[in-house]
Amino acid sequence: MRLKIRMSKLENIKKQWKAIMSCMNCGDCGYAIRPAVGRFLTCPVKEAKGEEGWEIWFSRGRMSVLKNILEGKLELNKDLAKYVYQCSECGSCTEVCHQTHNPNIVLNTSKWIEHVEVWDALRRDLVEAGFAPLEHHAKLIEYMNNPGMRNPYGESKEKKFEWVKEVKGLSKTSDVVFFAGCTEPLRQKETLINLAKIFNAAGKEFSIIDDEWCCGSIALRIGDINSVKENVEHNLEQIKKTGATKLFAACAGCYRTIKKDWPDLIGEELPFEVINITEMLLDLINDGSLKIPETNTEAIKVVYHDPCHLGRHMGLYDPPRDLIKKIPNTNLIELKRNRQNAWCCGAGGGVKSEFSDLALEIAKNRIDEVKETGINILLTACPFCVGNLNDCVKIQNININVLDIIDYIASKL
Amino acid sequence: MASILEKLQKIVSDKYVTNDINIRHAYSRNTDLDLHGVPEYVIRPKDVKEISEILKVANEENIPIYQRGAGICEFGGSKPIGDVGIVLDMKRMDNIHNLDEDNLIVTVEAGISWGKVNEYLSQFGLYTGCMGPGSGMSASIGGGISHHSVGGGGCAKYGACTNQLVSLEVVLPTGDIIDTGSQANKYSKFPFNRFGNGPDLTGLFCGDQGIFGVKTKISLQVFPRPPFANYKTFLLPRKGNEVAAQIFTEIRKKGIDVYDAMYIIDLLVIVGAQEGMFPLWENLKRKRGIFFYTIEANTETELNEKVKLLDDILLSKKAEVFGPEIEDGNYAKWHYVEQGHWQTYHNLWGVWQAFQPLTAECFTPINMFPKILNDLDVWDNEHAEDFNRILNITGRRPLTTTGPVLLIDGNNVELTCGSSSFSSYYNGEYHEEIHETNIKIWKSLLERVTKWGAQWYMMGEVVSRLMVEIGAYQPEFYNAMKAIKKTLDPNAIVSRGKFNFR
Repeated sequence: MRLKIRMSKLENIKKQWKAIMSCMNCGDCGYAIRPAVGRFLTCPVKEAKGEEGWEIWFSRGRMSVLKNILEGKLELNKDLAKYVYQCSECGSCTEVCHQTHNPNIVLNTSKWIEHVEVWDALRRDLVEAGFAPLEHHAKLIEYMNNPGMRNPYGESKEKKFEWVKEVKGLSKTSDVVFFAGCTEPLRQKETLINLAKIFNAAGKEFSIIDDEWCCGSIALRIGDINSVKENVEHNLEQIKKTGATKLFAACAGCYRTIKKDWPDLIGEELPFEVINITEMLLDLINDGSLKIPETNTEAIKVVYHDPCHLGRHMGLYDPPRDLIKKIPNTNLIELKRNRQNAWCCGAGGGVKSEFSDLALEIAKNRIDEVKETGINILLTACPFCVGNLNDCVKIQNININVLDIIDYIASKL
Repeated sequence: MASILEKLQKIVSDKYVTNDINIRHAYSRNTDLDLHGVPEYVIRPKDVKEISEILKVANEENIPIYQRGAGICEFGGSKPIGDVGIVLDMKRMDNIHNLDEDNLIVTVEAGISWGKVNEYLSQFGLYTGCMGPGSGMSASIGGGISHHSVGGGGCAKYGACTNQLVSLEVVLPTGDIIDTGSQANKYSKFPFNRFGNGPDLTGLFCGDQGIFGVKTKISLQVFPRPPFANYKTFLLPRKGNEVAAQIFTEIRKKGIDVYDAMYIIDLLVIVGAQEGMFPLWENLKRKRGIFFYTIEANTETELNEKVKLLDDILLSKKAEVFGPEIEDGNYAKWHYVEQGHWQTYHNLWGVWQAFQPLTAECFTPINMFPKILNDLDVWDNEHAEDFNRILNITGRRPLTTTGPVLLIDGNNVELTCGSSSFSSYYNGEYHEEIHETNIKIWKSLLERVTKWGAQWYMMGEVVSRLMVEIGAYQPEFYNAMKAIKKTLDPNAIVSRGKFNFR
């Protein structure tokens, strides 16, 4: 029987119909192993579920559900939310979806489906239908909208700016503005102090935003788009006041949201360039401003974990690697699964906040891969990855030092 | 009295069986866009004993069971026929039991993928020879055996994946468990040979489309991977179908153990280059048929000799060789080196968005395939009205063509010819007209190819029923098959609906 679906409930997934109907249900998003191109399975959530890895946990199963919803065979429902929000939106399914990893044979199929956009659309429809946000996610959004907070951690506005008091070299206006985000100021303050230390060593200044609010990443990933608009408008006004022509972000989530989502939300290009901290630091080294002293000690081996929001979401694979290679006495070793094939840390898509055990289980898979290398310094460029991978390391009592590249560089100065 | 769900929970625990509506819908489809069936339950058993118990419950309750490996059947074979039954998700059974390095036999659970087995074997310098179906990086070993699959590489040399089968552990529809091949002898310590101990009952389950039981454990012969390989791609002259058939035949007549040999027809090259599918051939002045081969050898001298034999055949047909690199147009290198054997077919699937191939996957003699392909042009013209209906809604006329024609063992090729269409949900609304037309043209195409005497290997819901509906089976064969089914599965529990047995 075909159900009568109220169209308003499905506005977002209806816009994704071509992507949904282009899925041929081959199942590579759940099962693919292709050692020839470094692909060793695809979906971190499905693997973390282990023996309970029902097909709904990976892309194909949800695509089947979406086809049935569009064709009127199934209604959007509250139970669906519990499956949908356990996806970390890492985008690994897009990479294996008929991707050849070969510039000579780039097939259209690899461009038809941007899975994360489909999941975002589904989340928006779930929110609009009243089936989401889930309990913890709702709290994050509530905090983000609280005039006294404006961050998803439920902390006061003032606390977010405490790090500023501990650093030098910030200016009120500058060509370059730093978007600090919420996670590092409130949970990894030391990294920002180290960032300032690096800029001081390079003799460079940067400005910050006086009243920076959450970029909206968390609400966007949850699908509550209406909660985000005010934040974006406010932040844009604040950035304009600095007169900056370039903005850099050290948080991979903020970087993705500002560079990719904000223009979509406001319907126009941003009036400034957006770059990631790894690009910024690489520029400082390349133009000779930042000099990291050489030592006579043996080179330290490090591995790099590609954050999903930098890599698969934004295609930023080389700048972090180029930056690490410029650090004296440092030898970058690639993990078995890297770049497009990198295994997610498990924190993204709201998984860490709502399903923390699942996030840790996914992280364990990644940490096991690091353990196989015998290397005990794991660098990355995302505070969520740092946080979740560190939580995993601590729980398992493993001797692996998970560091943001910023902290690693600062330790060399 | 216990419900079906409670009985199943007792077997596998409540963690591995569900009647959750969203999970059920996640298991309602295979790779086509038109066939659909929502199961009442989905269950993930962990071993042969659980499957045996599940089948006993299914018999008690008269509820059908549909097996699902990776669920990649193109003809609706691994989802329910109708909104009924239990889907048996075999993917929890994905362990490697044993690699017998002395006898070169690997024993695995049926749910493991060809990719995972070959990743494991590569550590020992071994491979499965035939790499399974074209979807082998995901497809399960059990599914490959149930379909006589080919397409994942190595089929010209090693044949269909059932050729390397040594023995099976099968749960019969009534719940009894049998071992075949050397393991039929209860004193046999380990699997070592398929034939003997009476009739080849292993063969009964090869290509059975899952109707005679549930395969749980599979022993396959494995092979040392030769250290030397070469791969070349050629542009064919006009009349590519006929020339390709002549090349395939000569390869066989000269006894060259080519690993893979494939032919891509000119229409696919033209459309593929136009639509950005084959950038490596975009600048070809003459877009004609393409032929490529891969050959393996144990020494460089042996390799060079084989390459010369193959090149002599191709050059004598006025084929022009592409340069050695992928960017030179060498598709064979891409297939063997970059792709790790798989995915040629999948990559051709989505030339347009919401595109749906309505394919026919079958074996034919080499000298038959050009005639079938030529006849498909006639068939296409006969269905102009149907295609116009699709065109009026989608703005694009479906295409009738074939995927790569693949040399398999003997003097046979695998033909993935077919028509195409689009999803019934198109541009914001569901079009019953597209769905009805899709089913009509798909069945018409399958009937046409069947009447050329083609031999189907992947049959699923559509082809197995169509063969019966159009009276294509020799009646005595069908009755014998039906009698075996009745004996093994008196309640028609396993794959109910296939072959119209009930």
